[in-house]
Amino acid sequence: MKKLKYDIIVVGGRIGGSTASLFASKSDVDVLMIEKRQEIGSPVQCAEGVTYSAFETLEMEPSERYVRTRVKGAHIHAPDGRKISYEGGIAQGLIIDRKIFDKELAIESAKAGTDIMLKTNVKDLIIKDHKVCGVVAKHLGKTIEIHSNVVIGADGVESNMARYAGIETYRDPKNIASCAQYELVGMDVDPEYLEFYFGSKIAPNGYLWIFPKGDGVANVGLGIRGTVDNAIDYLNRYVSKLDATPVELNIGGVPVSGPIEKTYTDGFLVVGDAAGQVDPITGGGIHTTISCARTAGEVAAESVKREDSSAQFLKDYQSKWRENIGKNLDKSVKYRNMADKLNDKDMNALAEFIETQDLKAISKISVLKFVGKHPNLMKILTEIL
Amino acid sequence: MDIIHENCGYCGTCVCVCPENVLELEENGLIIKNGCTECGNCAIVCPLGALIPEG
Repeated sequence: MKKLKYDIIVVGGRIGGSTASLFASKSDVDVLMIEKRQEIGSPVQCAEGVTYSAFETLEMEPSERYVRTRVKGAHIHAPDGRKISYEGGIAQGLIIDRKIFDKELAIESAKAGTDIMLKTNVKDLIIKDHKVCGVVAKHLGKTIEIHSNVVIGADGVESNMARYAGIETYRDPKNIASCAQYELVGMDVDPEYLEFYFGSKIAPNGYLWIFPKGDGVANVGLGIRGTVDNAIDYLNRYVSKLDATPVELNIGGVPVSGPIEKTYTDGFLVVGDAAGQVDPITGGGIHTTISCARTAGEVAAESVKREDSSAQFLKDYQSKWRENIGKNLDKSVKYRNMADKLNDKDMNALAEFIETQDLKAISKISVLKFVGKHPNLMKILTEIL
Repeated sequence: MDIIHENCGYCGTCVCVCPENVLELEENGLIIKNGCTECGNCAIVCPLGALIPEG
């Protein structure tokens, strides 16, 4: 029987939840993690690409149990078929099996001392004198109240926790990428490269990705915004041209508006997708979530030790995660706003320009000359700068 | 708003775009509580077309 009082309760048992609970437990406080589903890691709602930096933050070595391939670069395909190759940097990393990885993380957290409840739905927060001090949870038809000093909401894009705590997480549909993905067998792809396809016909206001998982298996998915047709319609249209068979269908939404304004309140922190801690340009959220969730776990544990879980103390979480990734996310929001204004013709022109340049030595004059020939790009640049 | 339950993939994307906060992903699937204003946000983001505006 689980206890009815913990130092910290983490709602959600995926990457954000397991990382936060792992680092809180490592700091020697009593932690409970609550997962709504009966199995951690399932269903997958992710393209499964992750940077090496995420593992540095976790202080873990990537394990062969979940690493499918190691990629060294990306091919970016413009609407007219022009292809740009890019190696290293953000295009370098690992393709993992999230189902196995998520569970491994939960196992690490459990080993560090975290208690875990499965198939348990948090229905509400217990709030006293404007301070969050526990959760009301339902497990197999039974409603239970569990008290805590801090609650960490790591409950994803369908987050209710933050709203219950009085933090606004509502998002305009134009800031949500609607995604669908098949894991396909029989794909003729380079196992060391990610493929990205752009264009209004393939994926309006988003892109299509192919992430290799080795042995002719790949995640083929797309994210779109502001369309009449659904993500699955666009995906089926693309996939129907391939001679490949699906073994899994994943769907979900990715917040691409940048982080929410306030990620803490009295007795409460919010992390991951729920907090919008996702790179708005790539839609990648594993490394950002792991970084922020570690901070959340550590700050929450510190607040327990100091017996101060007020917003005033927990604010430290926001200062720290902003210090770590805030600038990058802000920059990414700016670039995304710029990218939103590009039409297919602009993207083709950009690809043509990049194709003819040595990327490491692009001169200002050549950029100016290029932009001078493309009034729409000039207009966008002037608006941004 | 009508839910086509056989299309719903329980991803919860619709929940975060609901200005009235009437959508909830429960144990047995998605539910719409009272107060839906038919704004259509959820239908726009649903990857599987499981939400259809009434009428």
